[in-house]
Amino acid sequence: MIDLLGYGAFFMSSALIFGLIALGLNLQWGQTGLFNVGIAGFVAIGAYTSAILTTPETADRIGGFDWPILAGWLAAALVTAAAAALTGFATLRLKSDYLAITTFGVAVVVQLVALNAQSLTGGPFGVAFIPRPFASLQDQPVLFNFINLGVIAAVTVAVYLALEHLARSPWGRVLKALREDERAAISLGKSAKSYRIQAFAAGGAVMGLAGAVQAHFIGFIAPNGYLPTLTFQVWAMLMVGGSGSNRGAILGSVVVWAIWVGAGAFSAAVVPGDWQARAASLQIVAIGVMLCLILLWRPQGFFGPQGFFGKRRS
Amino acid sequence: MNLQFIVDGLISGSLIGLGAIGITLTYSILRFSNFAHGDFMAWGAYGTLSVVAAIGALVGTTAPIGALSFGWPLILAAIAGMIMTACLALLLDWLLFARLRDKGQSIIVVMASFGASMALRSLLEFIFTSSPTYFSRGIQMAIPIGLGIRITPDQMVMLATTIVLVTAMHLFMSRSQTGREMRAYSQNPALARVVGINVDRVVRATWIIGAALACAAGVMVGILVQIRPLMGLDLLLPMFAAAILGGIGSVPGAVLGGLIIGLSEAAAVQLIGAEWRAAIAFAILMAVLLVRPMGLFGRAER
Amino acid sequence: MSIPDVPILDVRGLIAGYEPGLSIVKGASIHADEKEIVVILGPNGAGKSSLIKAIAGLVPITGGEVLLDGRDITHGAAHLRVRQGLAFVPQTENIFPLMTVEENLRVAGGVLQRGEVQARIDETYTMFPDLARQRKLAAGSLSGGQRQMLAVGRALIVHPRVLMLDEPSAGLSPKFVEMVFARLNEIRRAGLTIVLVEQNARAALAIGDRAYVLVEGREAHEGRAATLWEDPVVAELYLGKRRHA
Repeated sequence: MIDLLGYGAFFMSSALIFGLIALGLNLQWGQTGLFNVGIAGFVAIGAYTSAILTTPETADRIGGFDWPILAGWLAAALVTAAAAALTGFATLRLKSDYLAITTFGVAVVVQLVALNAQSLTGGPFGVAFIPRPFASLQDQPVLFNFINLGVIAAVTVAVYLALEHLARSPWGRVLKALREDERAAISLGKSAKSYRIQAFAAGGAVMGLAGAVQAHFIGFIAPNGYLPTLTFQVWAMLMVGGSGSNRGAILGSVVVWAIWVGAGAFSAAVVPGDWQARAASLQIVAIGVMLCLILLWRPQGFFGPQGFFGKRRS
Repeated sequence: MNLQFIVDGLISGSLIGLGAIGITLTYSILRFSNFAHGDFMAWGAYGTLSVVAAIGALVGTTAPIGALSFGWPLILAAIAGMIMTACLALLLDWLLFARLRDKGQSIIVVMASFGASMALRSLLEFIFTSSPTYFSRGIQMAIPIGLGIRITPDQMVMLATTIVLVTAMHLFMSRSQTGREMRAYSQNPALARVVGINVDRVVRATWIIGAALACAAGVMVGILVQIRPLMGLDLLLPMFAAAILGGIGSVPGAVLGGLIIGLSEAAAVQLIGAEWRAAIAFAILMAVLLVRPMGLFGRAER
Repeated sequence: MSIPDVPILDVRGLIAGYEPGLSIVKGASIHADEKEIVVILGPNGAGKSSLIKAIAGLVPITGGEVLLDGRDITHGAAHLRVRQGLAFVPQTENIFPLMTVEENLRVAGGVLQRGEVQARIDETYTMFPDLARQRKLAAGSLSGGQRQMLAVGRALIVHPRVLMLDEPSAGLSPKFVEMVFARLNEIRRAGLTIVLVEQNARAALAIGDRAYVLVEGREAHEGRAATLWEDPVVAELYLGKRRHA
């Protein structure tokens, strides 16, 4: 029972971290219409930034500045925002496809740097000994799990409230107008581009923060944690939840993560050992098909204001 | 500097260019960036591999042609693979892309192609596992051709095949009625309908050509390097960069863009090391987007 | 084999618009007889352009019908209407700018036999000698008047029975307007039916046989071109002509 509770806390922590990433994506896509295919790259930038700044000094790697965790998280958000702003600056005056292609490229390059810039990122082995919040409680696993969940939930709620506030602010209303009315966007001209860059950077900051939170939650990061599959999971989460809705982003993340973990546990129990890897690919196929089906039949998702489970707003 | 990089760059560049033709046609005619295009390459390669195995099971082992690493079964199988890949693309269009295109939001189609790409690639991993496989495990002797450059017979034949395919493509686009209709449609879809062009036929032709060329490129990668489910994903960024560098919609531009990227990658491998190869396409892409987003042969977007 | 009292183009109660529930054409009925030039006039926003585009198959039709020579073509695809003999020349962007003049003509000949296409192109060159001289040039480099000639020539490649034009005089100098309308008159004499949407009422009515005035998505007046021009109410309200000018 205690184990189950502990696992429950662990599951919710992982799901809420995805929820955080999905909140960032919702600001970019759901609220501004900017298509990001490089989520994994931006999350990785945040994770590595905080890991390099907060780990204790190590001999074989630049970094290990032993910063406080919160400082690492702040830096992660800022560095990722800068990277996103740069990406937006280069592409947001062009057709939306160019942003998609460029973000895809960002993810490829970040992966490459993580793998090859060994002296900074630890190469394929990644960065270990990332300090965990409240590490002194680590010998009481259940309590520790719940404290972790509490920290992650607090960050998620804070980001959620901030994003809700932003969406209702004049700034958020401009974004909405830009997305819904192309003519308004054209009449705003240059400042339309700057609004889009701001939204893309702010969404990037949330993704970077999520990456950092995740790194400190697991205590260890490596390049293979930031493959295109991650990007794809987050997209599925937002689409299931209902793009445009912050609440949908979080609920969608919990549901899709439950399906993902459940399918993994099911195939681990049922599928014989040498077929495990293959079954894992089938899991991705299923999510891919699901994403396409949602796009075809339920583009508004399930948990947003217009979803099955949401109250219809006037 | 060792001049060998020219041969390596021309070869990988022509493979990128062949793939980029499909990307540029899909973008200018169907109006979306197809993230599943790389997976057409991988599916084409595996489809061809399966047909080679089937032919082998039927007629037994066959001798390779001359100094090449493969025999006639591979050539037949590649043609069958091109047909299969084209059918796959048409099926995907019918199931997914056409329906979303009718709704009118092109970026939703891009997202669907991203989802389809993940599903297609993982399906390959499910069927064939993620470990690499080969058309032939034989090792070919590279022939010195002067200036310290060496080239294998396979490489020579692949270069020649690319030249033939690209020339055929160019003649098709400029001389055939279907090619003219495709160009007309890409310039002005509404006017194309008004002048009696059957839009469905143009869409079908675009998928068939793009997928068949992707399969050809995939088979060539399989012959020269190896076959992996991720082979298409790895080439996706260079192919996009080539299409944009050449100017979206331009077939010769896509090929030239591919060659420039292939040569730059090969040169960079010598200068900064093979592990940074994949960053070159990104650097070129960013440079093009910042300096001349319409590409070498492109025109400004309306 | 058309029966004399059946109009070659018969549009009945047409309802059409880009978005469902937002009709721009609201029950318009017009017809055109063989070898007739029919002019459609009306104030801005009356739906003239949408009406002609709906007939061509470019604007979704939600009600009414379009008969070509007695055949129902209401819901056919745009390219099939061309093949059935209903050609359309849009107002703007009516050429493929990156293709040569000759390619612009050739691309419209997809349904013809191979040998036929060249003959039809030569025919067009005889009709518009300017185009013959510029056959190898990119169509985008032509002047406004030449583009209009090319668009008309291309529409004629398939030998349609009805030629519809959306404001062929828009943006042309008076000299070119005169030339375009003279050509249209010649084309009619050769046996074609022409349906013309125009802002330039004077020039259009000068060559037109019959005219409709479209108001708020349906026809409000119909009459001989000459008498419509004289009708004081119509003239003042919709043709922009002052009563005592």
